[in-house]
Amino acid sequence: MSIRDHLRDPQIFAMGGGGFTMEPSNPALDDFVLTLADRPEPRILFLPTASGDPTAQITGFYARYARRASATHLSLFRRHGSARTLADIVLEQDIVYVGGGSMRNLLAIWRAHELDELLAEAWRRGIVLAGLSAGAMCWFVGGVTRSGGPLETIEGLGLLPGSFSVHADGEPERLPVWLAAVRSGELPGGWAADDGAGLLFRATRMVQVVSSRPGAAALRVDAVGDELVRHRIEPELLGVAPTIAERPVPDEIRELRELRQAMRR
Amino acid sequence: MHAARPPQIVAFGGGGFSMEAGNPLLDDYVLSLVQRERPKVCFVPTASGDADHYVVRFYRTFATRCETSHVSLFRRDRGDGAVEGDLAAHLLTRDVIYVGGGSVVSLLGAWRAHGLDRVLRSAWRRGVILCGLSAGSLCWFQEAVTAFHGAPTVVRGLGLLPHSNCVHYDGEPERREEYRRFVGDGVTPGYAADDGAALHFVGRDLRCVVSSRPRARAFHVAPRDGEVVEQPLAVSYLGDAERDLSAVA
Repeated sequence: MSIRDHLRDPQIFAMGGGGFTMEPSNPALDDFVLTLADRPEPRILFLPTASGDPTAQITGFYARYARRASATHLSLFRRHGSARTLADIVLEQDIVYVGGGSMRNLLAIWRAHELDELLAEAWRRGIVLAGLSAGAMCWFVGGVTRSGGPLETIEGLGLLPGSFSVHADGEPERLPVWLAAVRSGELPGGWAADDGAGLLFRATRMVQVVSSRPGAAALRVDAVGDELVRHRIEPELLGVAPTIAERPVPDEIRELRELRQAMRR
Repeated sequence: MHAARPPQIVAFGGGGFSMEAGNPLLDDYVLSLVQRERPKVCFVPTASGDADHYVVRFYRTFATRCETSHVSLFRRDRGDGAVEGDLAAHLLTRDVIYVGGGSVVSLLGAWRAHGLDRVLRSAWRRGVILCGLSAGSLCWFQEAVTAFHGAPTVVRGLGLLPHSNCVHYDGEPERREEYRRFVGDGVTPGYAADDGAALHFVGRDLRCVVSSRPRARAFHVAPRDGEVVEQPLAVSYLGDAERDLSAVA
C-alpha cells in the first residue's frame, strides 16, 4: 500500500437507481463515479453479486467502462480461473461498483466469502465504493428490500450512519414502507433517492447530491418525537459529456491497459 | 405416507444434465428412486446465481417426464416462473430436489439467509430425495473441499452427511492432493468422486456408487496408521456394460 492510499478520504457514492444497468444511454452518473478516483484510467471492479452475476449486467458494465477505465468484474458464482485471492483483487482497485438486485443475498454471500470485511477495509483505504439500489443501501445501517418478495426493512453493513431507501420515484410503494420504519424507530433517519439521483459521502458525511435527469431528487428524513421531518434536497444536474464517451484512447493508455490486463493473468 | 421414506442423497462428483448433455444416466438413476409415474422435481440453481440458461436446460431435460419447478432466491420479487410464496410448503412436497453447480460458498450463504438450509434438512428427513452435482453435492456434507477463489479450502456444509466430500476428483489433480492433505490434518474422513460418479446415501451411510461413464471412480478417503488412504469403491456403471466391458471396475 502506498502512502497516497492513506491520504485518500473514504468515499461512498450511493445511487437511488441509474447508471449503466438502468440508464444504458445516459452515462452521467457512471462518469461521475470515475471522477471520484483521483487518477486517470482508474481501476474499477464490478460486483454483480446481488443479481447472481448475470451476463447482461456484466456486459453492460464493460460497455460503459472498458474504454475509459481499467475495468474488471468479480464473480462469486462462476470460477474466474485465477488463483488470486479476493483481497488481492479488491484492494488493488480505485473503485468498486456494486450492482442492484437482492440485498439479502448480496450481504449473505459477501459474508460467506468474508467480502464484507474486505470492502470495509477497501473503504477505509480510500477505495471508492459506488452502487445503486441494493448496491447503495448495503453501505448504510439499513434499507428497504424486496429480497424475500414483499417490501421489508433490512440491515446493512453500517459503514454509513442512517438508513437509505432507493427508487423513491420509480417504485412509489417503497417510500411509505421506509417512512413508517423511520417513524417507528425500526430504521434510523436517513435519505431516500429517486432513480437518477446519487449521494456522495466523504467519510460518513454527505457532501454532495447529483443527478442524471432533471426532476430526480433526494429526501432527508428524520423522526423527531412522533413526527417525521422531511427535507427535500435538490441535486446538481450532471452534464452529459458525450465527448468523454467518444474520446479516442491514446496509444500509450491502450498499451498500459493491455499490460495491466496481462499482468493480472 | 412420507414418513415411510428413508432420507436419501445422491451426490454427483460431476455430471447429469448440466455437465453431460446427451448422457441421462445419472439423472435417470435419481428418477428411478421415485415410486411415482411423474416425479415432482424442483431445481435449485442458487450456486450459479440462478442463471437463466441453467434453469432453461433443467426444464428441457425434465419437463417432459416430470412435474417440474424451480426456486429462485434472486428474483423472489418478480414472477418469472419460479416458485412463489411459501418455499417450504413447495419443497417439502417434492419427490426430488435437484441442486445445481456453481459456488458452494455463495450457495450456503444465500440458503442460510433465506432459511432454505432448514427447509432442506426437513425435506431430507421426510424422504424427499436430495441430489446435485459439484456444489450441489458438497453442500450436503459436514465438510467440503472447494477451490473457487484461490487455493482449495475446506468449508462447512449443511452436515446432513457426517463425512467430507471432494468432487471433480479426476478433473483437477491438485484437488486430490489437497483433499488428502486436509484429511491428514484432521478434516472429517469422507468421499471423493470423479465426474460421472454419484454417491448414493441412504440415511447417513453410503449405499452404492453408480456412474454414467465406464471409467469414473470414487474413493473413501481416511487416515489409517498415520497415512491418508484412498480406498477405491465399487462403482456400478449405469450404461450398457456390454458395450464397454473392459471399463467396469
